[in-house]
Amino acid sequence: MTDVQPQKPIKRILARFNRFLTPAENASELRIRRRNKTLGALTRRIGTIRLVLFVCGYLWMLALPSDRLARRVWIDENALQPNRVDVHWNWGEVHTADRYLDDLENLRDQNATSDQRAQYLLSQFQKLGLPSSTQKYHFSASSGDIQGSNAFAILSSPRVSGTEAMVISASWLSRTGDGEGQLNLRGVATVLSLAGYLNRYAHWSKDLIFIINDGYLDGMQAWLSAYYGVSQPNLHAEPLEIVSGVIWAALCVDYPGHSYSHLGIFHEGLNGRLPNQDLVTSLYYVASSNSPVIMYDHLDSRDVPDRRDELDPIPLWVPRVMRDMPDVRAYAYRAMNLLRHIGYQARGRASGVHGLFHQYRVDAITLFAYPATGPYGFHAIGRSVEGTLRAANNMLERLHASFFFYLLPVHHEFIQIGKYLPSAILISVAMIFGGLKIWSDAGWTRSSIIEQKVTSEPTWTRRRRPVIPSLLIVLATHLMGTLLFFVVKSSWFVPRYMSTAPILFITFTSLPPLITIFLPPPTVDEATTAPLSSLLKAFNLCIASTIISIISVLNFSMAASLAVFLGIPLSISSSSPNPLPRVFKYFSYALLGLGWLLFGSNEPKSAIRDWEMFGGWFAPFVCIVYAPLVFQAAIVCLQPQ
Amino acid sequence: MPSAKTQLVQAVLTWDYNLIFPCLLAIRLLITLTGVQSILEKNHQLTTPLTSYANLQEGIYLFNRGINPYDGGYFRHSPLFLSLFSTILPNTKSTAYIIWTLCDGIAAWALVQIWRARQGISTSSRDLLITTSYLFNPYLVLPSLALSTSTFENTFLLLCIMFASQGKASFALLTLALLVHLSLSTVVLIVPVILLLLSTPKSQLASPHANPVDFRKGLHLLGEYLVYFFILIFTSTLIAGNWNWVSQTWGTTLTLPDLTPNIGLWWYFFTEMFDHFRPFFLMVFSVHLLIYIAPICIKFQYDPLFALFVLIGITNISKAYPTLADPGVFLTMISIFPELYPYFQHPIVTTLLHLHASLLLPLFHQLWLVQGTGNANFFYASTLVLACANGAALRDCIWAGLRIALGPEKEGYIVVQE
Repeated sequence: MTDVQPQKPIKRILARFNRFLTPAENASELRIRRRNKTLGALTRRIGTIRLVLFVCGYLWMLALPSDRLARRVWIDENALQPNRVDVHWNWGEVHTADRYLDDLENLRDQNATSDQRAQYLLSQFQKLGLPSSTQKYHFSASSGDIQGSNAFAILSSPRVSGTEAMVISASWLSRTGDGEGQLNLRGVATVLSLAGYLNRYAHWSKDLIFIINDGYLDGMQAWLSAYYGVSQPNLHAEPLEIVSGVIWAALCVDYPGHSYSHLGIFHEGLNGRLPNQDLVTSLYYVASSNSPVIMYDHLDSRDVPDRRDELDPIPLWVPRVMRDMPDVRAYAYRAMNLLRHIGYQARGRASGVHGLFHQYRVDAITLFAYPATGPYGFHAIGRSVEGTLRAANNMLERLHASFFFYLLPVHHEFIQIGKYLPSAILISVAMIFGGLKIWSDAGWTRSSIIEQKVTSEPTWTRRRRPVIPSLLIVLATHLMGTLLFFVVKSSWFVPRYMSTAPILFITFTSLPPLITIFLPPPTVDEATTAPLSSLLKAFNLCIASTIISIISVLNFSMAASLAVFLGIPLSISSSSPNPLPRVFKYFSYALLGLGWLLFGSNEPKSAIRDWEMFGGWFAPFVCIVYAPLVFQAAIVCLQPQ
Repeated sequence: MPSAKTQLVQAVLTWDYNLIFPCLLAIRLLITLTGVQSILEKNHQLTTPLTSYANLQEGIYLFNRGINPYDGGYFRHSPLFLSLFSTILPNTKSTAYIIWTLCDGIAAWALVQIWRARQGISTSSRDLLITTSYLFNPYLVLPSLALSTSTFENTFLLLCIMFASQGKASFALLTLALLVHLSLSTVVLIVPVILLLLSTPKSQLASPHANPVDFRKGLHLLGEYLVYFFILIFTSTLIAGNWNWVSQTWGTTLTLPDLTPNIGLWWYFFTEMFDHFRPFFLMVFSVHLLIYIAPICIKFQYDPLFALFVLIGITNISKAYPTLADPGVFLTMISIFPELYPYFQHPIVTTLLHLHASLLLPLFHQLWLVQGTGNANFFYASTLVLACANGAALRDCIWAGLRIALGPEKEGYIVVQE
């Protein structure tokens, strides 16, 4: 019969579908075959899948600065209405600020002490008729003691009864050079004149707190600890004589130069916390009508062509043709901003005084006046602060939770969580697949070698997996890391850093091999028991992957850095038959894990200071989580094959 | 006939165990000296309104001053706690840590006794592992440090199973009555406990067989249980002075008036729900727990201890106010079923799920309630991960319990469930 009508495509598909649903053979047999086929195809290609995941993940990370992933910022909270009001700050206020500046410069020239400065500021606040006070504090840290004196004033809201507040602050030291000497006189003068000026208006629905904190981060830490009643063993801070309500937003003014050309936004807080994006966007909307806005202190070389050689982030070895391409230049500028962001967030370091506020659920940012010979000054910065305060003043409820997860490659565009998170997660998935594959491989062995003549097909038999010994090794490395942390944070370590750090490196690097020497040699019969190294590697990969994916929600920059530092290295750790490569590999991993003891001296010191003074988690994280994970891989390499 | 050498080894092991056990307890007590518990006490993952120590203290305070604590809408502990802490037991923080640690010690000891009864031996090298897995399971240690009364529930649970395994019917039923009195959702355990009393705790998983049950005796046991239970009700009413305690304690489990977040699946669901659906879904959620009793008890009738274990797992995932101690006791009980281990299907996936859940829970709790950069959905998502992890553990155990009867795998054969 050849005259069968050709079926219509839709019917053909339906018929195939029907065959799929009601198979002629034994249904469960078919299902098993199908499942085995799929699983077999997957497990056979697991290496390729992992490779693809790794490549995708890393390429995605490289693509983050691209403008394809970012979108323009917008304000989520409609109540804020930034830049919709008239601001009245004008040349009269600029004159006032100039007069304050004269006084401050006098104080600077007289080498006034902290107390004298605080007394001057207090008297100025009092002249304005504001309830004001000072606060003395004293830090004892292993890098030396710090003391100082803060001055602050509270402008009571004329409209509500002091249950809510906003902070305008300036630190005595500027953030330029991380608070090492440069004074923030114009920032202080701005806050003083703002205190007098904002007092005249009746539209404040929140109290305004003006703080001039001594030092850089230390003064604000003391003030905030006292405000929130948090005690810290190494800090003695006087209690505050006057307080206000819940602080919702804080603006920190940092104006170190004579004039400024661009207003930089710094937003990263302690332990990688970020302020709500709406506040950053409000500042950008308001400030960009007064002066150009940039991220951090990164001038875009495209905006200042005459300083291109000095500012261009693209290295010189890149061909000139490429360096001139607009897309490449845009990418380079955005990449520079993102790297700066990752540098702050991954290390959990506050990029300015504002960073200390986030831990108390206060959205805070620093306005940094990029030092230049002009053209902007008190006029533009005053209007920017006033406008942003007016927007924050409209806040009726907490800003929306979803706006805490973002990356800002430039000030006017952001990357949403869904577009940056997968990069780290893909790498973490690749790692966990690797761990699972090694785990399941460890449970089987080919037994055909002995009876080769009998069976042509190799038979697979199960073997034991010594879970508890490998878990004990994992536990031991983390305990070792904890020990390292306690040594590193002890008060005698930091002053003798240069002499003790190499000793520490040698001690902690030689500890695992020494312990493995003293352990009874493993009586491994590979036919019945899986080798310790493969199980250790499986656990190592699984734990590292878990940590990366969990951290990515909390601190993406840290997760991305871990994905870079741990992703490939932990996946390629393997033992080898000769002792020499084993030792070489072990030392490479030891360098990856503890190299910071040898090669960085400022980084570890400031991480320890962050932990001691502000409770930054970076130092303990590196000692207790990161270094042990690398050492587990190192021990994998050390195991005899 | 055991040789002299094995006897010696046994003796050393017992001696070791008797020495190490107090040491482990001492370590547990030492942890309380570090002061970590002060940050745990009000943690939603470790305490619920039904088990919180702060609530208990408030109730005791009111009770000692002659005010009925059940008249307010806040106190939800059993009247037995009121009478215990205002008479026999000292009610200070420092003694509380000792009492709670001792409770954990008793529970760990009971678990070892259950293991010994199941194996029919007087001592084994596994005792230490089982004790450690109870005393140092973080899911159990943390609620105990937070002075959550779920520690007492777990102690009564394990004591009840221990007595039932040893065939001491009256003790078992009395502790069961206490357990159900403290935590109403454990009512699902009555049937398997009675079955265990009628049968043997020995592992029968490898040789399933129909188990003729002496229903008459079972009814007698049920009657005895009810007598104890009514005595407890009567005592509680005497202590509380009126019947208000019933709605405040058991009523809370059934009607969920307090939606304080916890690690369970109920609170978020009922926060989001329109009020007119509440009664229906309350009924569904409560009855849902009961439907597992019959199938599990019938399927595993030859090994009621295992049925009990599975039902504990199910109840602890889906009860109204769980703390981490509830999944914790289920996970620790896996240590007395070593015969299952070779038959687990995905033990590492389950472990990793639990690892993810136990890291995500505190993280999202922090993001939502401390840092303020997340919302309730975050924490709820992490409780779902925990539920998946518990579900995976339960599934692994049930699969292994059924699979074990078919013996080791053979080349070229695959086991399927139709």
